Amino acid sequence: MERQPRVSRHEWAWCVAFVAAAALLLGVATNILRPAREAFGSTWNAYLAEPRDTVDVLFLGSSYAYCDWNPGAMYDESGLTGYVMAGGEQTVGVTYYYLKEALKTQSPKVVVLEGSSLFFDRYESFTQINVGYMPWGLNRVGAILEYAEPEKREGLFVDLIFYHDRWKELTRGDVQQAIPIRQRDHLKGHTAMDGVYDGVAGGGPYLSEMRQSEEIYQQNLEDFARLGALCQEEGIDLIVAIAPTYSQYTPEVYQRLERDVRERGATRLVNWADSFEEIGLDPSRHLYDGGHLNQEGAKVFSGYTGDYLLSLGYRPQPQTEENAAAWQATAEYWRS
Amino acid sequence: MSFLTLAYFGFFPVAAVGYFFLPARGKNIWLLGCSWFFYLCAGAEYVPFLILTTLLTYLVGLRLAGRGGRGTLTAALAVFVAALGVFKYLGFGMSLVKDALALVGLDWSARVPKLLLPAGISFYFFTAMGYLIDVYRGRQEAERSFTRCALLLAFFPALLSGPIGRGRDLLPQFAQSHPFDYVALREGFVRFLWGACKKLLLADRLAVMVNTVFAGPEKFGAAQVVLAACAFSIQIYCDFSAYTDMALGSARAMGFTLAENFRTPYFARSIADFWRRWHMSLSTWFRDYLYIPLGGSRKGRGRTYLNLLIVFAVSGLWHGAAASFVVWGLLNGLYQVAGAVTKPGRTKVRRVLRLSEDTKLSALWQMGCVFVLSTVAWVFFQAGSVGGALAVFRNMVKPVLWDVGGLAAMGLDRKEAAVAGVALLALLGVDVWSLSERPCKRVATLPRAARWAVCLMLLLAAAVFGSYGTGYDAQSFIYFRF
Repeated sequence: MERQPRVSRHEWAWCVAFVAAAALLLGVATNILRPAREAFGSTWNAYLAEPRDTVDVLFLGSSYAYCDWNPGAMYDESGLTGYVMAGGEQTVGVTYYYLKEALKTQSPKVVVLEGSSLFFDRYESFTQINVGYMPWGLNRVGAILEYAEPEKREGLFVDLIFYHDRWKELTRGDVQQAIPIRQRDHLKGHTAMDGVYDGVAGGGPYLSEMRQSEEIYQQNLEDFARLGALCQEEGIDLIVAIAPTYSQYTPEVYQRLERDVRERGATRLVNWADSFEEIGLDPSRHLYDGGHLNQEGAKVFSGYTGDYLLSLGYRPQPQTEENAAAWQATAEYWRS
Repeated sequence: MSFLTLAYFGFFPVAAVGYFFLPARGKNIWLLGCSWFFYLCAGAEYVPFLILTTLLTYLVGLRLAGRGGRGTLTAALAVFVAALGVFKYLGFGMSLVKDALALVGLDWSARVPKLLLPAGISFYFFTAMGYLIDVYRGRQEAERSFTRCALLLAFFPALLSGPIGRGRDLLPQFAQSHPFDYVALREGFVRFLWGACKKLLLADRLAVMVNTVFAGPEKFGAAQVVLAACAFSIQIYCDFSAYTDMALGSARAMGFTLAENFRTPYFARSIADFWRRWHMSLSTWFRDYLYIPLGGSRKGRGRTYLNLLIVFAVSGLWHGAAASFVVWGLLNGLYQVAGAVTKPGRTKVRRVLRLSEDTKLSALWQMGCVFVLSTVAWVFFQAGSVGGALAVFRNMVKPVLWDVGGLAAMGLDRKEAAVAGVALLALLGVDVWSLSERPCKRVATLPRAARWAVCLMLLLAAAVFGSYGTGYDAQSFIYFRF
């Protein structure tokens, strides 16, 4: 038999070194070309800058979650620390991988999932953003392969496919973010909306039936069951909450949802869709649009959510002096 | 699976590393498995065609070697030609019949069955036919190994768009075991990168402009239409030669050498010379298996010209099943006939004017003429129909020179145009360089720091400034259509 000629280790090592250099170069180019994300959904760099195992409550879901819950305001009211890890129109499947990733650095006692995503379609509009900004790892790969549109998968693996053409509009700020810095912020995943909905005078909430097919709903429930199983595995309570909104489903839809999620691992479903008065919200002042709360509304609702969680028996965990001071600063930031 | 996809970037290292590490007896089987998998990715429904073609080629080759037999060869070639006719030309043929009947007042409208056109069929059919003819002529031994015969047709770098392989070049390479060769790997990598740059920086960028203008030439000024036609000449060169670079680069990285397909065609000084430098594997195929059997230049001037026209009409048809492709081919044939007919006169004029043919000015003039003539022909190639091409020509001579929309209206803003300009200059530089040595080989043997700098620069240029992904009209390789 013919003997294989020996390949010099030296040569292989240089091949590997070149691949590493190329990957580094393309990685830097990607960081420069990909627009920074500081609002309208999860800000992973800021989340990962939080001290390990210091978050009591993790809020997940879609834009309802990041607009309506302000962890700073909740801390101010209840002392509970929280973080919102949600994305625009984020599907339950992607949220499952968000939770898996988020649990790498935090071990909350309770996860609150804003429940509208159970009524989403298989793919919604912002997969590119929601998955594309996740930290690299198996969870991102899983989210891409299982929950991203097939035509977006290549771009989600190689960000340059989506963003390389931004070379024409690069600014100095883009270049400065070439090496991402993990830094805590006061937003804690919240996006504060300015403005007041002017449609309140036109009438109250509008009710609708479920718009997606039964098949899609069942798929969403399957994804939810994975989320529920993960929470059970980690000893975390899972609460499904419907945030106050004018964009409501009929009571029958919510009743069915409650039954379905409780069968699949949810501790409870709290329907606040029509609880404006009970929470202390004034739709004419606190709605940003028909669906979401503005920043004043979010403060009220977040304080209320904190009290609600305390009433369920969840208590703030002891924090280091430094971390407590940081949270105090966040609370003051939102108070002012 | 196109070369510029993540799938290929994952596939190729696996194929190459597997090939290098397997023992010699497993290498070809691995390579064939990889090649068939590569073809499977182009479309599972195409695979039976490739396997049947391989079986036919292998068995007929053995039979030709055993007993000769013109009849066997004729029958096999008839099968290939008939299959091409059915899959590629049935619709075109029926439309010709319909038009002919309409001329005599008959109305015939048969429904054209929708047949799939297997990817790369024209390339591997031509490889197979060339191999069988060579075996019949005794210029090539029939390949006894099915695996090697199958690789001749299916070797993945050349499978979808050539170069069209010749048994005498490739089969001996499949009979050898190619160990890992660091220099060859580097050379192949540089060549692949250069191809990627040509495709992404130039071909696909210019394609945006070309497609915009050719889709509605009446909306643009005459100079813009001329510019788009010139841009297409560059686009198709960059597109196809880029594919060739990537094919040759992939093969080289694994230790194989495929036939060169381009030799700076726009530096040619006559159309005949152009065709000796453009798609060389196809040109030489037509020369060896059609032009020479037709009599070549051995049967008098008239017959030589007729043979040229036949070969180029068939070449046009090979490129596409439409009258515009035939016109494109015939025009290239006519250029050569006209060139041959007027040569004595042109030589006389040159002598009277005391112009030497060797001056730089003379060479530039001739290259300019070749570029203009080939650009006129390419209009038929790109326009999609003879009527469309005539519309493009009409709009080249209208009084309005430049429409107010400018470059942006043609699909390129200033920054895009600047990138295209820089890339074009780089292309020109490398093409000039390639006249004296092989640039990719030279880069591959530079000191490490310089080599890495060139490679990383090309990589970054292609990745950042390339025309691909969302927001761009990424073109598939033009020669995949054939």
